[in-house]
Amino acid sequence: MGLREDLDRFREVGERRRDDLTEFIRYGDLGGSDADSIRVPIKMIDLPEFAYDPRDRGGVGQGDGDTPDVGQPVGEPQPADGDDDGDDDGEPGDEAGDHEYYEMDPEEFAEELDEELGLDLEPKGKEVVEEVEGDFTELTRAGPDSTLDFERLFKKGLKRKLATDFDEEFVREAMRVEGATPDAVFRWCREQNVLVSRAWIDDEWASIPDEERGRWESFEEMAGSVERTTTAERIRQDGIQEVPFRREDERYRHPEVVEETEKNVVVVNIRDVSGSMREGKRELVERTFTPLDWYLTGKYDRAEFVYIAHDAEAWEVDREDFFGIRSGGGTRISSAYELAAEILEERYPWAEWNRYVFAAGDSENSSNDTKENVVPMMESIPANLHAYVETQPGGTAINATHAEEVERAFEDETGVVVTYVSDPADVTDAIYRILSTEDTE
Amino acid sequence: MRDDRINARREATRLTEPVEEAANLARKLGLEPYPVNYWIVDHDEMNELIAYGGFQERYPHWRWGMAYDRQQKQDQFGMGKAFEIVNNDNPAHAFLQESNSLADQKAVITHVEAHADFFANNEWFGLFGDGQGDDRSDLDAAAMLERHGETIRSHVEDPDIDREEVERFIDAVLCLEDTIDQHRAFARADERRESDAPPDLRERLDDLDVSDDVRRQAFDEEWLDDLAEAEEAAARLDEPHADVLAFLQEHGRQFDEETGRAEEFDPWQKEVLDILRTESYYFAGQKMTKVMNEGWASFWESLMMGDENFADGDEFVTYADHMARVLGSPGLNPYKLGMELWEYVENVTNRREVVDNLLRVEGVTWRNFHDVIDFEEVAELLAPDPEIESVTAETLDDLDPSDPRVDADAVERARDGDMDVNVDRYPWKVLTTAGLAERHFSLCRPQNRGFLRRIPRAELERLARYMFDDAKYDTVADAVGAVDYTVGWERMRELRESHNDVTFIDAFLSEEFVTENDYFTYEYSEATADFRVASTDPEDVKKKLLLQFTNFGKPTVAVYDGNFENRNELLLGHQYNGIALDIEQAKQVLERTYDLWGRPVNLMTVVTEYDEHELEIARRRNREPTPTEVGRRIRYDGEEFETHELDPELKERIAAADIDYDTKPDEWLS
Repeated sequence: MGLREDLDRFREVGERRRDDLTEFIRYGDLGGSDADSIRVPIKMIDLPEFAYDPRDRGGVGQGDGDTPDVGQPVGEPQPADGDDDGDDDGEPGDEAGDHEYYEMDPEEFAEELDEELGLDLEPKGKEVVEEVEGDFTELTRAGPDSTLDFERLFKKGLKRKLATDFDEEFVREAMRVEGATPDAVFRWCREQNVLVSRAWIDDEWASIPDEERGRWESFEEMAGSVERTTTAERIRQDGIQEVPFRREDERYRHPEVVEETEKNVVVVNIRDVSGSMREGKRELVERTFTPLDWYLTGKYDRAEFVYIAHDAEAWEVDREDFFGIRSGGGTRISSAYELAAEILEERYPWAEWNRYVFAAGDSENSSNDTKENVVPMMESIPANLHAYVETQPGGTAINATHAEEVERAFEDETGVVVTYVSDPADVTDAIYRILSTEDTE
Repeated sequence: MRDDRINARREATRLTEPVEEAANLARKLGLEPYPVNYWIVDHDEMNELIAYGGFQERYPHWRWGMAYDRQQKQDQFGMGKAFEIVNNDNPAHAFLQESNSLADQKAVITHVEAHADFFANNEWFGLFGDGQGDDRSDLDAAAMLERHGETIRSHVEDPDIDREEVERFIDAVLCLEDTIDQHRAFARADERRESDAPPDLRERLDDLDVSDDVRRQAFDEEWLDDLAEAEEAAARLDEPHADVLAFLQEHGRQFDEETGRAEEFDPWQKEVLDILRTESYYFAGQKMTKVMNEGWASFWESLMMGDENFADGDEFVTYADHMARVLGSPGLNPYKLGMELWEYVENVTNRREVVDNLLRVEGVTWRNFHDVIDFEEVAELLAPDPEIESVTAETLDDLDPSDPRVDADAVERARDGDMDVNVDRYPWKVLTTAGLAERHFSLCRPQNRGFLRRIPRAELERLARYMFDDAKYDTVADAVGAVDYTVGWERMRELRESHNDVTFIDAFLSEEFVTENDYFTYEYSEATADFRVASTDPEDVKKKLLLQFTNFGKPTVAVYDGNFENRNELLLGHQYNGIALDIEQAKQVLERTYDLWGRPVNLMTVVTEYDEHELEIARRRNREPTPTEVGRRIRYDGEEFETHELDPELKERIAAADIDYDTKPDEWLS
């Protein structure tokens, strides 16, 4: 069947029809995704057709045991039961509410976002060094027996043997030449590239009976009559009697030390959850922070997140709760920075971690807190980047000056960025500004 | 398909007998199915067949890939319940999944036999053939679809044709695949409807035998020419062309970027358009009879499996479970709705037969019917004769071969010990259709007790009104004895020939049915911004239900003019029935229609709008705002859309005055 091909074509078509990321971040449903897989809805995957407006069409429902009263809400209408025996291609209305998703991992997300927003963030700052035992490729002269490099020892010994091996019979014949002296034999042998030692000749000299001396007129005559054997022939013939192992050849293996560099990042997300942070503002924070989290997860080898909610007090929360919390209290932004400083100090030392500290809120703060506490704290917490995202749908309120004060205080510094989001359309710009700012140190 | 596999072969062997006997039983019950070829397939192949709409070969297109992808995902989450596929072909092809239990296989087989009967006898299926529904021997659907697949594949692979362009063209046609004239025979669907243009007055004058003198004086030629032209133009608009695909086939063009003009289609484009339109007509029959067809198959499946014991003892438990799941799935379930409608038809017909006879008993009138008839007695009298009700090898000798309820030939063979007629296993073999009808007479079923008694007085009166022979029987026993047990099934067979879902539901969805099943309609409330129960009136429910089946559940769009405003623009009209179009989707369809017309395209429709003032008042008074219905013409010229007010005269033409599927009550939510 050509169905495999059709499936491939479908995937290609689906890919083309996927929501572009900008749209997705600004208006899409971010809730269907998690840190491992980002689900981008695919636009209108099926072909369009002349169809009724689903709202205007209404429908027929079935009560559960009794007929409901007129005017009662029915919830989202259930699509008609799908067809299951294939002799029909489509039930009226059964496509309603169907969503297809394109799934991508954070790496792909980061790559796509780079492309889409023209970003170019290279994870830098510290490269954390870690020592890892590498392969057993280093050698020492001492060590436990189990790590003895026997292969090397054997090879060395063998080499040694080969280097000292010579044709003993040939040298003995040389000793039988008329008028030969040990010295003359040694010199002649060396000329013939026979690796015999003078000591060996001296040792052997007495073992030749006198009547045998003078068997040959000269060395030349002897060499012409006696056949020499090569080392290989001798080994083949006699085998290797012994390999001269020497202590000096012994080597012990031990592991190499490799310096592994891992790019670690910790992102501190701070959010104002006080009474003034209504639904609209909250959503803008989520739309800005969530893609930032995904992006940094995709860029770094290891990413950890800290979520801090605050009103006048600050407390650490789980991600699931972070965007949902609402409290009634006032606002003191410095409380969050105090907690952030504590957590970073304790768990994520600056020497080992890249740090991002993102805070968001509607810029309302208790009087003088920004100037007296927050700004000094931001200065004192070392980080790749400090960001403040003001989410204020419909412009700034009069008392809400936190963002401006921060901006003014850090006018000339590179490691701090302040952005304003008043509308979902601003979200991608804010993300761009944040990710394209980096402390150049 | 893959006969080489051991499992498939084993399964095939195991199913040989059930397959043969199910076909025999179906015929005994009065069905006339196409012969069915059964194929054993594995799970993957089943998914592939489902994606391809029940066939093994289709043209290359991504939508099959999409269907396959969905099917696989459903499967993964355990939602897939693919039990059977059968396609409309002669012989029909049915696919059985190798891993099904024997009980499931038998259920599928009986279900399939009934589908094959429906394919063979329903006239709406017949429309694809020569239109008469008589001779469908030439229907070779699988081969046709395979041929289509090869042709389109050859265009896709043709190096001279851009593959993307072929796909784009197919997409464009598929967007319009349901805008056909599915109520007409395929062979003649592209001809214009009769009385297309009125005959020229000159011909009429000829017919009237008007003398040349009178003619010359009364009607000068120029006037006659003008009249003919005007009438033709009017006719063009009066009779919209429902088969949009045929119209495009005849008059469509492609826009040529280079010349900047509309040019003739390329030969491959014509061929693709023709193929896709043909397939639309082929599949239309199925789409139009879904409820009836599924109901029909479930009805006979249930009778064969349950009542005729086609499933053995423990198989029956599995089967009952399966059936409960199929019929019990939530939402509007075509199996359940269809089966219940068929049972209603059967019961009502049988009841009429019995009551008609009872009213002919001396002394019984429609007024005293409920007082003088002893329903217990009638029930006993109606019960099938014992020798028909339970047939075993021992009772074989009690059967009278001359009894019309008995299959004399089979009885003889059974008595001779013919192993083919195993009475203990298949008692139906020695009975005729009449005998089986008595055996399974619907009014004798426990769940239908009381149905006779519940006959409304109005119906009694109607039956009695023109009854002359009203003292035909002396006793109730005589009257019941004369009951023809086969009328119910006969009536059902008649209806399965002539009806489609719309007419069937319209005719047989009773008030009782709607109330008993707690059906209601819902509509969207602007005031509360959600869907609310709008009506529980059976008429409203029926209306809303019919909307889901009329024209495949989609709005009717037809060609109103191919030379709109003398500029060669296409004018499509949405025939408004009170429910607005999905405008965004409609615009996307227009963009693609442009690819098939090559010149600007227009769509007339009616939209419902709410003016600010009205919304404000409604909000303040806490009531539903009253919409204004406004005519609109959306025009697409290849680059952008324009929306115009619709000429009131044209609005008149597309807005049906007599139908409105909106079921919102006047005083809602107050």
